[in-house]
Amino acid sequence: MLRIGVSRLLQHGSRHTAASAAAASAARAQSSAPEKIEVFIDDIPVMVPPGTTVLQAAAEAGVEIPRFCYHERLSVAGNCRMCLVEVEKSVKPVAACAMPVMKGWRIKTNSEMTRKAREGVMEFLLINHPLDCPICDQGGECDLQDQSMTFGSDRTRFLDTKRAVQDKNIGPLVKTIMTRCIHCTRCVRFATEIAGVEDLGTTGRGNDMQIGTYVEKMLMSELSGNVIDLCPVGALTSKPYAFTARPWEIRRTDSIDVMDAVGSNIVVNHRTGEVLRILPQVNEEINEEWLSDKSRFAYDGLKRQRLLYPMVKDSSGELRSCEWEDALIVAAKALKSADGSVAAIAGGLVDAESLVALKDLVNKLGGESTCTEEIFPDAGTGTDLRSSYLLNTKIVGVEEADLIVFIGTNPRYEAPLFNARVRKAWMYNELNAAIIGPKVDLTYDCEHLGDDPSIIGKLLNGSHPFSQRLNTAKRPMIVVGTSLLARPDGGVLYSQLLQLSQKLRSGCEGGAEWRVLNVLQRVASQVAALDLGYTPGVTDICNHPPKVLYLLGADEGAITRDQLPKDMLVIYQGHHGDRGAEMADVILPGAAYTEKTATYVNTEGRAQLTRAALVPPGMAREDWKIIRALSEIVGTKLPYDCLDDVRMRLTEISPNLTRYGEVEEANYFTQASALAQLVSGKQDTTPIDVPQKKLEDFYMTNSITRASPTMAKCIAAVRKEAANRYIE
Amino acid sequence: MAQPGAATRLLSQLSRVVLTPGRGVSTSAARCVDDLTLKQVEPQDTRKSLLSSEEVQHQKALAGYITVDTPDDITHLTGVPEEHIKTRRVLIKKPSKNTMQSGTSNIHKWYITFDQRERWENPLMGWASTADPLSNTVVDFSSREAAIAFCEKNGWQWSTEEPPVKPPRVKNYGANFAWNKRTRRSTK
Repeated sequence: MLRIGVSRLLQHGSRHTAASAAAASAARAQSSAPEKIEVFIDDIPVMVPPGTTVLQAAAEAGVEIPRFCYHERLSVAGNCRMCLVEVEKSVKPVAACAMPVMKGWRIKTNSEMTRKAREGVMEFLLINHPLDCPICDQGGECDLQDQSMTFGSDRTRFLDTKRAVQDKNIGPLVKTIMTRCIHCTRCVRFATEIAGVEDLGTTGRGNDMQIGTYVEKMLMSELSGNVIDLCPVGALTSKPYAFTARPWEIRRTDSIDVMDAVGSNIVVNHRTGEVLRILPQVNEEINEEWLSDKSRFAYDGLKRQRLLYPMVKDSSGELRSCEWEDALIVAAKALKSADGSVAAIAGGLVDAESLVALKDLVNKLGGESTCTEEIFPDAGTGTDLRSSYLLNTKIVGVEEADLIVFIGTNPRYEAPLFNARVRKAWMYNELNAAIIGPKVDLTYDCEHLGDDPSIIGKLLNGSHPFSQRLNTAKRPMIVVGTSLLARPDGGVLYSQLLQLSQKLRSGCEGGAEWRVLNVLQRVASQVAALDLGYTPGVTDICNHPPKVLYLLGADEGAITRDQLPKDMLVIYQGHHGDRGAEMADVILPGAAYTEKTATYVNTEGRAQLTRAALVPPGMAREDWKIIRALSEIVGTKLPYDCLDDVRMRLTEISPNLTRYGEVEEANYFTQASALAQLVSGKQDTTPIDVPQKKLEDFYMTNSITRASPTMAKCIAAVRKEAANRYIE
Repeated sequence: MAQPGAATRLLSQLSRVVLTPGRGVSTSAARCVDDLTLKQVEPQDTRKSLLSSEEVQHQKALAGYITVDTPDDITHLTGVPEEHIKTRRVLIKKPSKNTMQSGTSNIHKWYITFDQRERWENPLMGWASTADPLSNTVVDFSSREAAIAFCEKNGWQWSTEEPPVKPPRVKNYGANFAWNKRTRRSTK
């Protein structure tokens, strides 16, 4: 009976129009459940939709039922039995996590029977759990510890020897102490359901049950770090964080991740001026509760290869550290004598505040080219219309879609949490996926249409066999990768995609509300840079080399020293000594994302704030302040003195940049599509390719991750894993 | 001088009447208070009855609360250095759930935190030092409005974040065994 209810729920959900997934799923729950039923939790009456579990109904009433195996984002397992509660007129206690409520049930979460059941379960769990707490990394934030204090007995009756289990080696990120495992199977369910790697499982039964990979192999997933959070005990802990700190000694600062363009919400855990670990923060609209391994473990890169002091190249061509004053004067002199021949390139980790300051400075000095390293085609409307470079359906929009086509992107490694969302929709909402590009494993069934760029043209004129599926889709999504747009014929392909999306949009059931075209950006700064009017790509600078080039965190090697004239002065401002600093004549040390309160705009166009957890190391300073100071020495003082003034300037240019947490919707698809029809050019026949195809390509993509020893270990482990004879 | 004296006398007599109702009527003084009700002979505060009319007016003006229309601001009174009022930024938000644990009991409140200032390792013990008196200040409030009012009162610039919305989700043990859905689980 219940199963039919759920399938109906899902069908209704897919047809429903709603602005966000939250609203959509609320509507979904309501549309098929017109009548709510009343239940009583400890005599508190609550109205819940039919099919709600006892545990959810209790949460509604504000009563928290203890649990180990139940996790709201995983399937119901019902194997820990900790959530047993008494239901009036029921002989036995029921497992609250799996039992749907019935009308008029009176649930007692604090009765004698419930307490006895919990105490019994606790006793059995603790029989085989070692008394490791003083040396356990989970100590202080351990569900088992807390719940045994609250619900357990105060003495043991167990006098035998405890079970011991051999530890498993599942890679350089997750440390396993399997003796502590209580077999909640959260990690197994996470791996199969969310991460989509069926590596973890259970072997044996009863007292001999073990969680593991059966044969020794690495947990090859870009989301593997999440099992550390999920583990309710200390069986799975973080390897880089092992024995580092206790949770009560840590300061927590809520912030935003910049390793990809998704803008995951994070909590930076820090103490004594260093980041100890990074945990995800719940944001249903972006990362839910997950975090990619790169965002979670690359923090040790923040301590290495940092630029601590301003540097200037001396007469022998060697960079020497100096005072801020000296460096700023050298830079200012060069900028002044350049007489307007100034250009700037912004990298992928730069915040909106420093982007606007740099653009204002360059423009005031008379320079026109302010570029980003990421390329975006100039054909048609280019970046004039916001909708052309955003993930317009938003990340939650995936849960409403019924067909998604990836073109020239590998979302699994370019935006792991977006891919996790697609997988979620694939699993629960019957979303179908297809990909044009190299054949990559996206963890769900994905129809491979080939890697020939002419497929896009065929889809547009309807001659491709897949066109039928696209045209009949109710809410199709087209996700374009920026590596496709970086191709020489990116403009032509993109104009075809613009037209195709517009064609699908007018025909689909979602109507004008539904946005088909999506661009999946790869770097955190790109959307803000384009919103501020930066030119994507550095061709302009290559064609007309300026006298002074200002690199703002540009480390991806979009331009090399060989391409530039010898007498050009290169100023590098950034936080890591990477490719950009290597070619610089003047280095101005800036702050990394954990060290500044700054604005980043994610690929959806959602502005979010990172919050400073630490202060920049050494003599490094916040980025916009450096540019502001430099502007004063050059003599073209920028008209802002504090962060609020800079934000005012951001708002002046584009108000969405300071509407934090919200997505400003972008439109004008019709106009973009009409102008795209005018684009003509030669189409390349080289197959569509993406730079990140395998897991080892995922870990190092920016200056922070390149400096991170953990990321290096991950790559080494993945490469070594290729020699593992147990994997296919 | 004589007038208040007489009044005092009268009062003391009256109070005596009230205190000893049983024999009150038989005294000579009782004749003049014959027609007074009990309410009228309630004892009065001598300090009040001795006041001149101007003083009464003045007291009336001082009584009760004064409503000031300008926003509540105690920055001039607290003695907090200007540096810790004007330059500080306060974040008002609900605590986010610790993803390492499943409990949610301590996230149903609002709290304020201050922007981070520099910390360094103290050369003496290796512990963390800071020169920021507000670095450990985390104040809990029952509502966002209360937190905002507190920040306004203290003259801090504040910003606030919306608490996460929790969409309802369908949890169903049967989905593990669905025969035609991708939610089917083989084994764990």
